[in-house]
Amino acid sequence: MTALASQLVPMAVLLPLGVAFLLLALAHWLPPRGADAIAVIISLLLIVFCGWLASKALHGPLVQWFGAWAPGVDRQSNVVLGIAFSVDAVSATMGAFCALVFAGSFVFAWGYFDKVHAHFHVLMLLFLAAMIGFCFTRDLFDLFVWFELMSVAAFALTAYPLGKSSLEGAFNFTVTNALGSYLMLTGIALLYARTGTLDFVTMGRIIAHQAPDPVIAGGFCLIATALLTKAAIVPFHMWLSDAHAVAPSPVSVIFSGLMVGLGLFGLLKLIAIVFIGDAQVMALVHIGLLWLGVATAIVGGLMAWAQRHLKRLLAFSTISHLGIMLLAVAAVDSKGVEGFLLYFVGHGLVKGTLFMVAGILLARFNSIDELELYGKGKRVWPAGVVMILAGLLLGGLPWGVMHDATDFVHKAGHGIASVIAMVAGTSLTGAAVLRAALRIFLRSSGVPGVEFAAPTEREREQRDRPLWLMLLPCVVLLAIALLPPSLVESFTHHAAEGLVSATSPSAGGGTLIAAITFALTIAIPAVSLLRKRATRRLARVVSDIEKAPFRALQTLHSGRVTDYVVWMMVGLATLAALMQLR
Amino acid sequence: MTQRWRLVLLIPAFLVLATAAAAIILGLPAFGHPLTHYGTAVNTLAPALRNVSNMVAAVNFDIRGIDTLGEESMLVCAVTATVILLRGHRGEDGSERAGLIPGRANAARSDGMVLMCRLFATVVFLFGVYVVLHGTITPGGGFQGGAIAASSFILLYVGGGYQPWRCVLHSPVVVGLEGFGALAFVLCAAVPLAFGYAALQNVLPLGTWKDLYSGGLMVIVNIAVGVAVTGSFGVLLIEFMEETRAPKGHDEKEGA
Amino acid sequence: MTVLAWCVAAWLLGMGVYGMVTSRNYVHLIGCLSVCQSGTYVLLLGIGFRWGAGPPIFYNHPPGTPAVDPVVQALVLTDIVVGAAMTALLLAIALQVHKRRGTLDTQHLRPLRPTE
Repeated sequence: MTALASQLVPMAVLLPLGVAFLLLALAHWLPPRGADAIAVIISLLLIVFCGWLASKALHGPLVQWFGAWAPGVDRQSNVVLGIAFSVDAVSATMGAFCALVFAGSFVFAWGYFDKVHAHFHVLMLLFLAAMIGFCFTRDLFDLFVWFELMSVAAFALTAYPLGKSSLEGAFNFTVTNALGSYLMLTGIALLYARTGTLDFVTMGRIIAHQAPDPVIAGGFCLIATALLTKAAIVPFHMWLSDAHAVAPSPVSVIFSGLMVGLGLFGLLKLIAIVFIGDAQVMALVHIGLLWLGVATAIVGGLMAWAQRHLKRLLAFSTISHLGIMLLAVAAVDSKGVEGFLLYFVGHGLVKGTLFMVAGILLARFNSIDELELYGKGKRVWPAGVVMILAGLLLGGLPWGVMHDATDFVHKAGHGIASVIAMVAGTSLTGAAVLRAALRIFLRSSGVPGVEFAAPTEREREQRDRPLWLMLLPCVVLLAIALLPPSLVESFTHHAAEGLVSATSPSAGGGTLIAAITFALTIAIPAVSLLRKRATRRLARVVSDIEKAPFRALQTLHSGRVTDYVVWMMVGLATLAALMQLR
Repeated sequence: MTQRWRLVLLIPAFLVLATAAAAIILGLPAFGHPLTHYGTAVNTLAPALRNVSNMVAAVNFDIRGIDTLGEESMLVCAVTATVILLRGHRGEDGSERAGLIPGRANAARSDGMVLMCRLFATVVFLFGVYVVLHGTITPGGGFQGGAIAASSFILLYVGGGYQPWRCVLHSPVVVGLEGFGALAFVLCAAVPLAFGYAALQNVLPLGTWKDLYSGGLMVIVNIAVGVAVTGSFGVLLIEFMEETRAPKGHDEKEGA
Repeated sequence: MTVLAWCVAAWLLGMGVYGMVTSRNYVHLIGCLSVCQSGTYVLLLGIGFRWGAGPPIFYNHPPGTPAVDPVVQALVLTDIVVGAAMTALLLAIALQVHKRRGTLDTQHLRPLRPTE
């Protein structure tokens, strides 16, 4: 059976590619909902297929060499000539999860895009194929090719609504990520020059036998910059709030739930397989990436609290949680990998649900602004229940996949800084979502706090979709997020050990910290919503002091693409400086 | 941020990066003395194993063929995206009158020019097909040949004007070329898989050295890519030329 | 001479980024992005070059004559397609932005905020 599984591995990529091209060719003649139905069926098939691959890959990775160009084909040397897909259990699980979220997004988008000839479905299927290829591949340039396909599909989908903000958000997104891609290509060139190969395993072996080298270190910094830009880590993160806020809701689900986390997964795979033997790079990973994760979690949390445009709020909360996932990656041990996998799945489910709820509100009420939607949510109260539950999960409710994931990340983490970052990020983001939900659905205080000065805009989305159809994927995703992870614990444990076998001693105190986090998640919106308008002088002074740091942060996130490029260069220089100082 | 603040942040970053770049430049192998086990192995092995003389085509369509599939998908994706963006809210019903824009010259075409354009469009198209078919022997291949073949479409427009051009190039046909060409590439990868071989394995007879048919499956992949690229560029050209047709009242409404 | 190619690649990347940061027009910014990409071409092709070797096409020379690295040439081919795709997409976005906002000034175009 394992041989059959190895044989069929490329189908996970070839199937969505083939169907996408077929849809493109036949677009003129398809019935109106035909493309929707085909896309849902393909996603469901891929969930089953990747799940089957994951179960077969527990005992060892499934490898297939394309074109039968396995090493030793000439019977003389052992030079690696071809490209392989090497599927271990973690990669296959990621692939299955991607297909799951895509299926939910396709159901949510049923009937949304019927004025165009299936272009949306073609782009989304190519996006899905690229994600699965990205998870499965074992070749550095192949990784780059799938990364680029993901990026181009994402750029197109962001610009889809063709509104003013969508186009500018898409421009910022494209320019920053394109610059990241060219830096990644430079990094690949440097690694190829030094090692003479593009295969992960061979490269890892060569690097482990060499002395630390500025070329390898430079290659790592450049590739890390590109992947961290995709994963929206401070200071490369600014494009995300623009792009997610203006993309159509089904697309934002994919961006926040899957695409940005995959950047971190690529980085984790590269570190675990290629750079694990280079002491200089590993020192940078353990310390530099840790501090970047801390900064990201805190900045993301603060900015999420200070937003009123719901999708922008959710975008910043994604940034914050990505910072926490980076803490798991920086540990590079099996607990960290297990935590990362569970966090990716849990966060993806919850964030996907929240973006779908935002889409429901946008479709029903033609507005996405928290203060404008004040009290209007009564008519769609099921969405309110979903939103409040999702907000609690985001903020550390001690139940379900995210709680377990946070526990693992905490155990893998080191030091007080990462604890503070996790507490701050989780509680601020959960609090922001709860505050918005209470305002919209329960008519809690309408007195605006620091979010009043945040950027916002009128928007609208396609109206005539039934509420139950839009709620169905939300409920399904949330139900999966609420499942007790003990069901899959042994599987994730074995899967994580397949990728990184090292373990380090766990940090303690997890239960206490989880309790503090959840208490803060409840307390912060409660304090904020119970306050009255600041009319007395002392209250006004306090309010101004409170607003000042948020205003400074908002000014830094200026929305201008030239500023974003400057921050990317500052980030790259920081990584380079940290590397040279070791 | 004002211009000054941007430079205040950028210049120190550049200085740090310059020192890092200097360390990397000094660490790279000297120019002209590369460390290429991979490239040398391909140059030594591929002519015998695959009967082709163009090593770059061997790498592109056989040894690293899956990369090329991803690249082809990227091209299709980008063209689809550009079509969505250029089409806007104009829709695609394609009225067939060229637009008359005040101030823009709309000179009549001379017979000599029309004849020359039609002749050369044919020649250029055939040249593109030639470059595609000889991709495994001499420099060229699917991408290059496809782009040349697509440029013959522009000559048709220059020679005939908007209306005859649209009569020859139907949007569903060109999109079909693009989709079926790319699908053919996917099938070249999937069909060997169904028969128990590796994906994209060269299962066809390899042909003769320096002959038109050499390289086995590479020839099919080459043609598929050529067809797909011709289709892609054709779609793109149609979208560009649509900008010149007569607008039907108010074409572009603003997005919400 | 041994480091000239690498210096040119680094210079192109640096100048491209500097141009992007100081740009006042979307189309100019897209051009600077292409300059960055040219830097990657120079680096990749320079890595594969070998003194005294010919092109990796064995039509007129028998297989076995020294040839440069064909793998980086294939990588550059893919890189060109990537670059063309990005540039086309960016220019199409810029076209539509110009139709809606009437300006392409990088300082005035910010998503979710009214134009100043």
